[in-house]
Amino acid sequence: MRNYGPIDDFTVIELYSDVQVNRDNVEYYRGLAERKLLINRCGDCGTWIYPHRPICPECWSWNIKAEEVSGLGSVFMWTTLMQQRSPSAPHEPVPVAAVDFAEQKGLRYLSRIVNCRPEDIYHDMPVQLTWIEIGNLEWPAFEPISDSGRGGTR
Amino acid sequence: MARNPLKDQLAVVGIGSTPYGRDLQRSHLSLGLEAAIAAIRDAGIDKNEIDGICGSGMTPLAQGGSGFLSLQGALGIDEITWGKNSWLGSCFVYAAETVFSGLSDMCLVVQTYVRDPGMSRSAHADPFRRNLTKFGDIGGDIGGSDFAKRWVHSGEPYAGWMRRYMHDYGVNKDAFAYLAVNSRSHGARNPAAVMQQPITLDDYHASRQIWEPMQMLDMDVPVDCAEAFVITTAERARDMTDKPVLIHAMSLGGTRVGEFYENSLPWTENAFWVTLKGLWARSELKLDDIDLFFPYDGYTIDGVGVTEAAGYCKPGECGDFFKDNWDEARQVLRLNGKCEVMTHGGGLGMGRAGGANYFSEAVRQMRGQEGARQIARVPEAALIAIGSFFHDPCAVVLRT
Repeated sequence: MRNYGPIDDFTVIELYSDVQVNRDNVEYYRGLAERKLLINRCGDCGTWIYPHRPICPECWSWNIKAEEVSGLGSVFMWTTLMQQRSPSAPHEPVPVAAVDFAEQKGLRYLSRIVNCRPEDIYHDMPVQLTWIEIGNLEWPAFEPISDSGRGGTR
Repeated sequence: MARNPLKDQLAVVGIGSTPYGRDLQRSHLSLGLEAAIAAIRDAGIDKNEIDGICGSGMTPLAQGGSGFLSLQGALGIDEITWGKNSWLGSCFVYAAETVFSGLSDMCLVVQTYVRDPGMSRSAHADPFRRNLTKFGDIGGDIGGSDFAKRWVHSGEPYAGWMRRYMHDYGVNKDAFAYLAVNSRSHGARNPAAVMQQPITLDDYHASRQIWEPMQMLDMDVPVDCAEAFVITTAERARDMTDKPVLIHAMSLGGTRVGEFYENSLPWTENAFWVTLKGLWARSELKLDDIDLFFPYDGYTIDGVGVTEAAGYCKPGECGDFFKDNWDEARQVLRLNGKCEVMTHGGGLGMGRAGGANYFSEAVRQMRGQEGARQIARVPEAALIAIGSFFHDPCAVVLRT
């Protein structure tokens, strides 16, 4: 699925109908629908704010704007899901990782690791944003940065 | 020292437990009522002496569960002056708080746990259990199709933490393995425990990977069960029994992580450290005085965190500490030559009660009521720490 141009609130809520879309996170989901990874950021002190909340935890400013991130980061921790809760779910291992974004220390986003065997993942491994299609929607995922592509992170 | 005006002013005077089973085919409320009635009878009081109820769950109404409204109605308790729902260990602290504050004089705590569909694949196949999650209790997978919300109130980050812990401190899985074997050894001696077979360290390592590196035997056993307690003032308790079990000190804790657990703080800054620091700032009894230790074992990494946060050893040294304090003959932990750990089998051996069975085991041991399982030298002080790295952990010192 591809979307181009601005997407209105009704469409965002309809696209992500099983997610609690609200005023604090709607720009994030609108961003996903436009294939952009947006994270809230304080317009006054510059702090990145995740999960999506309406004030800055550092300066209590309400001047919060969703801003696109570089998509560069590293693996803080991860687990490989060897089974899903539903017995009918596919039996393939799913690596799930807390990715530390390059933008700010401790700014973390949970995502799948793709294009990498689970046994090749390591702590602090540099990764970059990519997109995968699930359920007719595109979702963020992260893949290792090849050696030639390194240097973009901190 | 932090303030501790409630020191030894409150007591646990009633304890009630249901049988534990993998599939009891009973509702939350049915289990909760059985435990509540047992606890009220154990206290030797009339039901209408109960004037506070802490029911089960994290939702105010807990419809379809054993919330305080349903419990009060079903038990036919005419009036209460305080009601709330809670879970894990914090339920105990909230009930004690309310008795200390004077909002209630005799508070009933009821905690029911069932093998919910988020905890096992066979439970997921049971339509009654699947129906339970429709009523809003935390059941995992609440992010819907957004994978980025998967670790909102999830167990999976604990698996990530196992690996991060081993990486950061350069250790293996020994600490987790000893805890698992300890609980199963004790569970095998407890007829009420769901897991009657002891395990070896090799069994632990050979168990199935669930959320690699977390294995089946790192995870508590989902069961159907209930526990209940009656908490009142120490003064009242002395009229009821010669040797009341008193609440000496307790603490709660929280951090700024919030509900998205990938935002974890460093290992020694999680909520268990906040809570245990708060406990020792209030308790006059210290670690050396403790005869019975209940480190939360929802996952073995919890128990390792509690053990280190309590101060038994330095961060990262729990594996060595357990190895040095291992009773080879009995295949259990015995800390510093005196302190027994999780003597009923805990969540890993007896079954998952969100830690509620630690309180009942501690009280029965301290009353000298455990029969064949009674510790020869009746314990006089117990340390219980229950909860999560991320939300509402509690720590309690009980004494006689």
